Amino acid sequence: MPRLTYNIAMVSDFFFPQPGGVESHIYQLATKLVDRGHKVVVITHAYADRKGIRYLTNGIKVYHVPFAIIYRSATFPTVFSFFPVFRNIMIREQIDIVHGHASLSSLCHEALLHGRTMGLRTVFTDHSLFGFADAASILTNKLLKFILSDVDHVICVSHTSKENTVLRAALDPVMVSVIPNAVVSENFRPRKYPPEPPAPNNGFGNATPAVHHLGPNDPVVIVVISRLFYNKGTDLLTASIPRILENHPNTRFIIAGSGPKSIDLEQMIEQNVLQDKVEMLGSVRHEQVRDVMIRGHIYLHPSLTEAFGTVLVEAASCGLYVVCTAVGGIPEVLPGHMTVFAKPEEDDLVVATGKAISALRANKVRTEKFHDQVKAMYSWDNIAKRTERVYKGIMGDIPEADFYGYDVGNTAAWNGESHSGVRSFALIDRLKRYYGCGVWAGKLFCLCAVIDYLLFVFCEWVFPRDRIDIAADWPRKVYHSDDDD
Amino acid sequence: MAGTGIRQSVVGPYSTLTPATVLPLDHLTTSPRSSRSYLAPEDAFNAASPPCRSGGFDHSSSNNNNMSLLRDTVAAAGSGDVRTSRRRESKFGSRSRSRRRKRNWKKILWVKQSYPDNYTDQTTFLDSLQRNPRLQPYEFWPLVADTTVIVQQVCSVTIFVVCFVGIFTERVSPVAVVGWGSFATFVGWAVWDWWVGQEGEDEVLQRQNSHRSRGAWQPRQDGGSANSTTAPTTPSAASSVTNLGSTERTTSQGNLIAMRSQHGGSVTSLHSNVSHNSRLLDPQDGLRHRPSSPLRRGRATLRLSTIKSASLIYFTILGLSPILKSLTRSTSPDSIWAMSFLLLAINIFFFDYSGGVGVKFPASLSTNAALMASTVLASRLPSTGQVFSLTLFSIEVFGLFPVFRRYARHRSWRYHVTLTVLLTVGAGGGMGLILGEGRDGVWPWKSGLLGVLVGAFIVIVAMGASSWWLIGLQKYKNAMNGPWDQARPIIISRRQWEYD
Repeated sequence: MPRLTYNIAMVSDFFFPQPGGVESHIYQLATKLVDRGHKVVVITHAYADRKGIRYLTNGIKVYHVPFAIIYRSATFPTVFSFFPVFRNIMIREQIDIVHGHASLSSLCHEALLHGRTMGLRTVFTDHSLFGFADAASILTNKLLKFILSDVDHVICVSHTSKENTVLRAALDPVMVSVIPNAVVSENFRPRKYPPEPPAPNNGFGNATPAVHHLGPNDPVVIVVISRLFYNKGTDLLTASIPRILENHPNTRFIIAGSGPKSIDLEQMIEQNVLQDKVEMLGSVRHEQVRDVMIRGHIYLHPSLTEAFGTVLVEAASCGLYVVCTAVGGIPEVLPGHMTVFAKPEEDDLVVATGKAISALRANKVRTEKFHDQVKAMYSWDNIAKRTERVYKGIMGDIPEADFYGYDVGNTAAWNGESHSGVRSFALIDRLKRYYGCGVWAGKLFCLCAVIDYLLFVFCEWVFPRDRIDIAADWPRKVYHSDDDD
Repeated sequence: MAGTGIRQSVVGPYSTLTPATVLPLDHLTTSPRSSRSYLAPEDAFNAASPPCRSGGFDHSSSNNNNMSLLRDTVAAAGSGDVRTSRRRESKFGSRSRSRRRKRNWKKILWVKQSYPDNYTDQTTFLDSLQRNPRLQPYEFWPLVADTTVIVQQVCSVTIFVVCFVGIFTERVSPVAVVGWGSFATFVGWAVWDWWVGQEGEDEVLQRQNSHRSRGAWQPRQDGGSANSTTAPTTPSAASSVTNLGSTERTTSQGNLIAMRSQHGGSVTSLHSNVSHNSRLLDPQDGLRHRPSSPLRRGRATLRLSTIKSASLIYFTILGLSPILKSLTRSTSPDSIWAMSFLLLAINIFFFDYSGGVGVKFPASLSTNAALMASTVLASRLPSTGQVFSLTLFSIEVFGLFPVFRRYARHRSWRYHVTLTVLLTVGAGGGMGLILGEGRDGVWPWKSGLLGVLVGAFIVIVAMGASSWWLIGLQKYKNAMNGPWDQARPIIISRRQWEYD
């Protein structure tokens, strides 16, 4: 039986050349999906030197759509102006599934709306956590509710993020999947790791890396890699470093990253005369992160909010013992033997770091094993497989009852609208869903949906479908082994 | 049974927001809460009882209610779910699946669990959700009491407007307005001065007692704030200093600066004050030898500088009045009225109602808007004297009077209420007077009295109604907190590296 493959469009404001977590997530996921035989195009806005169409490794096509950027590379939300271009790309590339990323990307929201209007299946991946209190969150949440009212499936990166998204957008929990981020573990090898496993199927018997013990006089090096912002907990870091160094004099700090709070750190270093113990590297590129990490023994992550915390996985993959604050989705990410958790309090952070240092000094932590363990936990292959299951579910290629976990016997009693399974494309059903979004907002959203539909009809009339060329595809990869299930 | 439950939870946002009314299929509708197997968002929104119920509202118990209700839902639905999973097992019948399936779902990401990615575990899902964790239910009378500050500000603005109309229609002599205003300001200043002095003395005594009981003075502790510079006072010094004595030192430095700026104070006086404080930081022995002279001198300097800045303002306004008079001659009157209305509204809305006595810059936007309003209003007046009076009066009303009001409230609740009543009467009476037709020479006491009554009535009704409304609105409060919120870091030793 031939494998079912899809044509997928990843839409987000955030993509390369800009560095960042969402960007690399999209790229890695797209690569692995292509490996599984799908066709993936990425749609983002134009960056300074990138306009038009680019090809990336593995035959990923990137559309850089020209749009004005307003804030931190998010485009101006124009709601409708993206539609003609979007429709053209969708038809040209014969897209089945629109997959939007990041809740602050207006391009993604627009694409999801237009995608539904065009009768495509839509998936949304949420990468961040939002509160419910401040004005910006309230606005974003309302917008998210609008878009997600009519989306087919949502993917969150951690269970905490799922709870948050379900609450924010009033979703049914079964249509939200939790699929974490992953790391390319080859890029995050520990220092003394055998450079490349000899052959994939050659057995892994003698490849266990050598145990490296920490000598009694060797300094413990603590690495911090984070943007130095308030929400990354730089204040905690600034307050804790002198106390940690006071308790454990034979300790060094390496801090990489830049941001508004770096001044506080520098001030702290000067006031406590710690220049020879704390090294500040400034911002490092993502490729250099590994080189910084392998200089240390402990990775300290004092963040105040985090949906997933990919950097923790990267650090553990480099063989670092991780000390982190137990906030957001962080407690779900790494097992207890790799981490020491602290409350987001200065005292607790100092105590936790002290614990980690003494555990390392006692050589109790088998950090040399971390890399292989992490490799088994998080891989993009696995992520792509799980994402593919979502695609199959929304396309109806997995039995609905299996995908949503229904009791099969009662399926006959349901009509098409009552469950969140395959959502009807009929305009009236979509309007019903939008109408429920709020007293005023519901009517506004309905208006938007109607205008969007009219625009669609207009486009069909002015630019008929059969006049649009179909892009030639790359030869599909054939994916054979579909491992354990 | 599980089927109906799922259907209930699954209808999506459409039913989420209109829970009871538009359930699309009613032939299957049993009790929605008991038969649900998956948690739907409306569990989070609607599960708990409304926040305000039977007076006292205990938020912790409400949280427990919420959680236990969710648990109940889960327990009721548990059997159905087990059946679901069983059936799936039998359908697939794959190796090791049945063995793995028995393992409990855990809220972790690093293990590949045998549950699908969109599995929602009912026992832990939204477990850490907290609703209204820091809710403090309002009570009626304290709320009414709190509205008095707003009433005071609104009445002050009304009185100012009344005075302007009086001057503008030439029913009231501008000299009378500014004379009475200045007299009241002077009295207020004197009272304020006395209060500040008294309070300082109290604080000194209190501190002495605490120091005596503590035995020794620790310099380390008092390094942080300027407020604690009073610490080294010895008993002998304090007893020799009378009422006036230690005022200066007890008000915190920031407070002094604020007061000074209220008086439009000059920089020199500030300097003297600062140097004074630093002198007080001298060790104990140094102070003992020259007990009271610096204190008394500081006090005098403060008053002198106040008088100096007052006269400075006086003459500045006097000089500026001819310019102000013709400032907006080319603007049509109705835009002036609209503009001043807008500015006074800004004043009322942005006024710092919560500020205590030590606020450094209380609502500068509000004060500036009011002064601009008075300036544009004054520019409508025909003569220099009138312009001068109105501008000076506005500074008294908007710049200095709030300081006094704040202090009166801080000082005693009775003063505050008295002031509120006086202001209400003044504003109501004034409105009555300017609205009633004025015959020359006859004191229109009837319309004044009517104004007082109507004003008092409006104020009382507004206070009660707004408080009642706010309490009524509280039941819509739904603050959701959980692990996704940004943590508040607790940092203790910041001061150590910042101030040492």
